Amino acid sequence: MNSQAMKSFEHLEGLSEAIFKRLYQQPATALAVFRRMLPNLAKTFVMAMLFNPDPVPVSSLEAFVRPDQNRLKEEAFGKLRQLYIVTERQGTFALDATFKVELRKALTGGGSPGSFGLPCDTEDKNRVDISFLDRYAAEQWESILHFMVGNETQSSQRPSEGVVRLLLHGKLMEQNRASGTVITQLGFSFLLQEVNSQVWTLLLLYLDMAEQLRMDPVDILHFLFLLGSLELGQDYDMKSLTPTQKGMLEDLRDYGIVYQRKSSSRRFYPTRLATGLTSEIRSLRSPAATLANATPGNDENGFLIIETNYHSPLQIAVLNLFARLISRFPNLVTARITRESIRQAIGKGITAEQIIDYMTANAHPQLRKNSPVLPPTVVDQIRLWQIEGERMKVTSGYLFKEFATNAEFNAVCKYADDIGVLVWIDKNKGMLFVSKHEQIADYIRKRAQSNR
Amino acid sequence: MDKVDGTEHYNFKAPADLATLQVIILDTNPLAWATFEKSSSLSFPAALSQLLIFANAHLAFSQSNRCAVIANHIDGVHFLSPADPGTDHRDPGEADLTPEDLKEIANQNASKYRVFRLLEDEVRASYRRLIKNTTPEAVMACPNSSYLAGALSAALTYINRICFGGTGGRSSGVPGDEKSKVNSAGGKVDETGRTMHAKILVVSVTPDPANQYIPVMNSIFAAQRLKVPIDVCKLRDSTVFLQQAADATGGVYMEPEHPQGLIQYLMMGFLPDHLARQSLILPTKVDVDFRAACFCHKKVLDIGFVCSVCLSIFCEPPQGAVCSTCQVKLDVTSLENIGKPVVLPPKKKKKKKAIDSLPESGVASAAESPVPTE
Amino acid sequence: MVRAIKGVLVECDPSIKAIILDIDSKTHDIIVENLDESHLIIKDNKVAELKRILEERLNEHTKVDSLEEEEEEEDD
Repeated sequence: MNSQAMKSFEHLEGLSEAIFKRLYQQPATALAVFRRMLPNLAKTFVMAMLFNPDPVPVSSLEAFVRPDQNRLKEEAFGKLRQLYIVTERQGTFALDATFKVELRKALTGGGSPGSFGLPCDTEDKNRVDISFLDRYAAEQWESILHFMVGNETQSSQRPSEGVVRLLLHGKLMEQNRASGTVITQLGFSFLLQEVNSQVWTLLLLYLDMAEQLRMDPVDILHFLFLLGSLELGQDYDMKSLTPTQKGMLEDLRDYGIVYQRKSSSRRFYPTRLATGLTSEIRSLRSPAATLANATPGNDENGFLIIETNYHSPLQIAVLNLFARLISRFPNLVTARITRESIRQAIGKGITAEQIIDYMTANAHPQLRKNSPVLPPTVVDQIRLWQIEGERMKVTSGYLFKEFATNAEFNAVCKYADDIGVLVWIDKNKGMLFVSKHEQIADYIRKRAQSNR
Repeated sequence: MDKVDGTEHYNFKAPADLATLQVIILDTNPLAWATFEKSSSLSFPAALSQLLIFANAHLAFSQSNRCAVIANHIDGVHFLSPADPGTDHRDPGEADLTPEDLKEIANQNASKYRVFRLLEDEVRASYRRLIKNTTPEAVMACPNSSYLAGALSAALTYINRICFGGTGGRSSGVPGDEKSKVNSAGGKVDETGRTMHAKILVVSVTPDPANQYIPVMNSIFAAQRLKVPIDVCKLRDSTVFLQQAADATGGVYMEPEHPQGLIQYLMMGFLPDHLARQSLILPTKVDVDFRAACFCHKKVLDIGFVCSVCLSIFCEPPQGAVCSTCQVKLDVTSLENIGKPVVLPPKKKKKKKAIDSLPESGVASAAESPVPTE
Repeated sequence: MVRAIKGVLVECDPSIKAIILDIDSKTHDIIVENLDESHLIIKDNKVAELKRILEERLNEHTKVDSLEEEEEEEDD
């Protein structure tokens, strides 16, 4: 998945048990966690247990899964435990009581009024429509991106101080004596993400910073998840929000996630950036629709001709990260992807996958007709350029050795493989290397007990 | 400066899976439900509420999942959701509401996720409209009637439109075929040109409509071809057709023993989607009743006669010894001994049940009929 | 009794491994366990240092890379 070093959505998995238990107190959050953070099989287990009044024996859930799908099963169980959604007691699984109640409320609509946002009960005299909100969101968001690549045109005003502070806090940009605020390597890989990931990255930075300001992270996350379940084009009343959440509105307005006509206004509109927060679908096509019309060249370097419909300076700046610009016309920019340009990008911490994803996501409709979208030769070459400088692969974890019996060694190997943590194994020496050790240690202990 | 380290670059993405369209076909025959309620204490409103929770659970899986609800009514098939465009969308119940009620509804709405609320409101409003337009006389006239064949066809045509861009799954390899590649959910398509997976759930309280045998079977084969599983939740009266439907399409067939706990059956057995089913062992009926209905009197048969040319099934030799389907003249002289005590071993073949498989019994009679009689 | 050792698994070509062994031979504080010709375990806190030294060593020997790129410039 996301391989960049910055905080991604998965970062939320590391929150503490106490925070998760409090997060689950809202139906909107329970639903969002269910949808966004669980693998398919784990969702199936949750639903199978949701309306069952009793805890379910682990054995019956195991019998529910095909024997050859152990890996998926363990992944599902592991994720459910990690997010504190299930508790295991005496060979049975039970859903966390709060999570169960709140997810049921989400499905049956039994929550308190406003648990999925409180729509305004009066007509807005200055009503705005969806296309206005889309324009507003894109403008706000792009002004941040423009600011990052350092081209502030008249059309895009400088983002607010809060945004700049956030970018500095997240090390997406840094203060430089000579040239003021400049983008960092982390910032470059941020630019190559698709919009939804970008939004989450910024919001998680926000969460991080807010904690330092003693704001309650649960309050913030509740609001973010709530925003994800609101209706685009509907105006909502602020009165059901907590003071922290009301304070957040101002910042979210700067990012283009919500729209408020005036800061004193009591109603707010979520934009598409907000309603897409808990979905897996791309919300807005990244900054604006770009076009890349690629033709595999005869040259082994491979050529890529890139056009932009809008010839926005932002897209050109992003392209400049991994391609060498050759010429620029009113509606067309040509650039060349070379070994050198790709190696340079990789030197900045950008991965080949990010470059490929970015080109795929921004391909012109003409190019989209192809399947796959990008010519395979180009994609392969970019990947090859990336790995040519890589001489080693590191995995941190634990080495297990000196097993008492061969049988024990084999059983542990199989278990490690099932739960997907096995990295390296040497049957002759009786050693294995795993990326996570807690479950393995547990397993060895249980095995030792049962053999006694 | 991790130039020498390639660790991060080895993590490749798993391909994203397609979303799922769930079509629910619900019997709405009021008399059949009333009879069922007496024996099981599960009323129609209770069943509908539980089905809507099931639908919500399906929609909760992914933002791109879709759901459609079709009523299999006494006089035909009606889409409860999405409602037909152009119909009157007003809820007939709304006129009787007091202002207090309206306020109560608005409050409830604020506590419901919009996607769930839209589906629920639409289904309930369409259902009230449907019942309002149904007269007691019409119900009494056909206590057990259902339009299973129509409902299945409607479901399949809808699936064809939503999941295959109206191409019936045939357009896959055609280059430049825009329709098969464009998709509302971000342009994902699998190799057969399908943009979404689909499954059908039939919730039935009416007996088999034997007179619809042929169209029902045709729908089943169409579903099989589109790889759309037909799940069956049979609340009352065991049914032959639906067992075969589930069996042929790889769906789940269940007859809940405790209908009050319908929701648990739905969540456990019917909810898992295409992806989850690949790794699950789902509860389903193993010994399927493969009996067929005859083409002449639409009776479900244990033993029957099969046309040697087109394999049509009859409960008695067709009139004038001409097959009513393909008009071929049949030699029925060898059938004279049917029903009499069987003496000759070869004749025994004809008694073979039609249940094993239709073609096989067809072969049996085909081998016999052309042979000149002794 | 089973032993578990915390560390970082390094996977590389035998040639690279030879360089790592050479680096370790001076201080003996990097490698925890030598597994086979292309795998070894090193200490958690030495990863960054090892990478830095390794890159320096590699750069000493590979001037070829930059030459190639200069040639490429010319044919544009």
